Amino acid sequence: MALAAGEVSRLRTTVASLRLAVLQFMADPQWLVPSMIAPVIFGLVSFELFRGAGPYFLTYAILGAGMMSMWGQTLYGSGWATGQDRVFGTLEPTIQSPSPYLYVVLGRILWNIVIGLVGGGIVYGVVVVAAGGPPALPNPALFVVLFLFVMVTLASVGVLFAAAYVYTRYAGFIQNIGEFAFYVGTGCMFPVILLPFWTNPIALLFPPTWALDALRYVSIPGYTGFGWGWQVDLVGAVVSTAVYAGIAGGIFHRVERHVLEVGNLSEY
Amino acid sequence: MSDDAAIEVRDLVRVFESRKGFLFREVVRTEALKGVNLRVRAGSIFGLLGPNGAGKTTLVKILSTLLLPTSGTAQVLGHDVTRETDWLRPRIGLVLGGERGLYSRINARENLRYFADLYGIPVSERERRITEVLERVDLSSAADRRVEEYSRGMKQKLHIARGILHRPAILFLDEPTIGLDPKSARETRKLVRSLIQDGVTILLTTHYMFEAEELCPELAVLSRGRVVAHDTIPGLRSRVGGDRTIEAEAYGFEDREVDALRALPGVSKVASEEYGPRTRLTLRMRTGVTGVEHVKAALREHPELTIRERRTSVEDVYLDLVEEEAS
Repeated sequence: MALAAGEVSRLRTTVASLRLAVLQFMADPQWLVPSMIAPVIFGLVSFELFRGAGPYFLTYAILGAGMMSMWGQTLYGSGWATGQDRVFGTLEPTIQSPSPYLYVVLGRILWNIVIGLVGGGIVYGVVVVAAGGPPALPNPALFVVLFLFVMVTLASVGVLFAAAYVYTRYAGFIQNIGEFAFYVGTGCMFPVILLPFWTNPIALLFPPTWALDALRYVSIPGYTGFGWGWQVDLVGAVVSTAVYAGIAGGIFHRVERHVLEVGNLSEY
Repeated sequence: MSDDAAIEVRDLVRVFESRKGFLFREVVRTEALKGVNLRVRAGSIFGLLGPNGAGKTTLVKILSTLLLPTSGTAQVLGHDVTRETDWLRPRIGLVLGGERGLYSRINARENLRYFADLYGIPVSERERRITEVLERVDLSSAADRRVEEYSRGMKQKLHIARGILHRPAILFLDEPTIGLDPKSARETRKLVRSLIQDGVTILLTTHYMFEAEELCPELAVLSRGRVVAHDTIPGLRSRVGGDRTIEAEAYGFEDREVDALRALPGVSKVASEEYGPRTRLTLRMRTGVTGVEHVKAALREHPELTIRERRTSVEDVYLDLVEEEAS
């Protein structure tokens, strides 16, 4: 029955990991707080924050709070799940199995994307109810497509956090420091262009910055952003996400080798 | 690698580096394995004995592809553990045991289902195989309970179920009965014995001597990162000077009495230990040369003498070897 690693389906590993993530989510009611209750609070705070800030304040409120909710789930959750593997002591048997760990991470990220989208949906609902009606979106279809793509770009950064958690038990330290800086720096709460100019080149190193700028272009008429239009943003987001995916593939291989050299897989 | 060897290790060294201090970090090097040589026959249960910190778990982790050696070579099933991990991992079962290592908020069946997928067990066989291993480890009735509700013994059984789920050719069991109550430990040993009938090669680490004696026809003693002995149990007994042990206790012995005992034919070792006011002399000897009556005769000046003869246990062998290595 034993199979070579090449024979273990990557898709099956991903689906198994996704399934496990769902089961663990269902088994642990404390997740209701960040995934269901927090978006309601984010939505209300964002609504009050942007109220009266121009004709498209509703869109700003939805994007700001929605991204805050999804950012945490998709990026933070992806890395945190690997940190939990260390705590549970399941990292060793998982790495020892023939399945590449990258695909285990991928399954978790898919689930985090789903939960992030649910959070985004809750924010949308709360803001719409608070405002008494939905925002005016010039191109709803394109908005939805770009919204989903933003999740993919967030996930591409999340993979690197997961790699950091495999690399060292101290990854939580890096993530806790980086989380808010990335959140502001990539334009989740408000456009990056509002930040000091010197931060913009740094922000453009991250795929979500491009995707979020594109999303604002298509949802807020008159939005100028970086000034090069949503199409350029989209190309930038696709290219940078592809680069991140490539880096993640390479990094996971090296990280797995590194932890076998150092022997820290059982540390937590 | 020899034809019938499942494991062959040559000059294996593993050094761990850790860092101390915050600003001025000092690198501390710990040599966990110092040139280990080992050969394990296919289809056998091989015992690896050693005190805490001897390097047993380090060796198991290297052999199961979870750790890279600093130098030396290790082959499992004829394949190098550092270069041929893709080939080896599906063929290796690893049971590290303990409270950790399982997803505690989900049930046993789901834990096994997840690992069955990671090991690529065909979907058509998966459920049947999970049921089979759960029955084998006697967890069928608890299969749908959350693992967090399990006792330590049940968790250990689940660890073993996961280790054998994909029908590995070789199974590494790292201290499988540690922390278990006597009943659970006995059940676990029974389970381990039954696995050998499936043709699985088992490497078992333990520091319970009776367990090694009960399960392993051949074993190695690891002490301070070195193999200090590698033999069958009778071979190890003769190595420490005999298969019989006589223990004599009294309120102190004269040096001349100890010398007289040492001079008895077939006596290879006389060790003395203080037990409060009493002293115990332990004599290691071969069967049929010197008996209890000879020892009694040599110690006839002690009316309070208590004496007993028994078979040299693996524990005796182990303690002799570890003390020898330490000295």
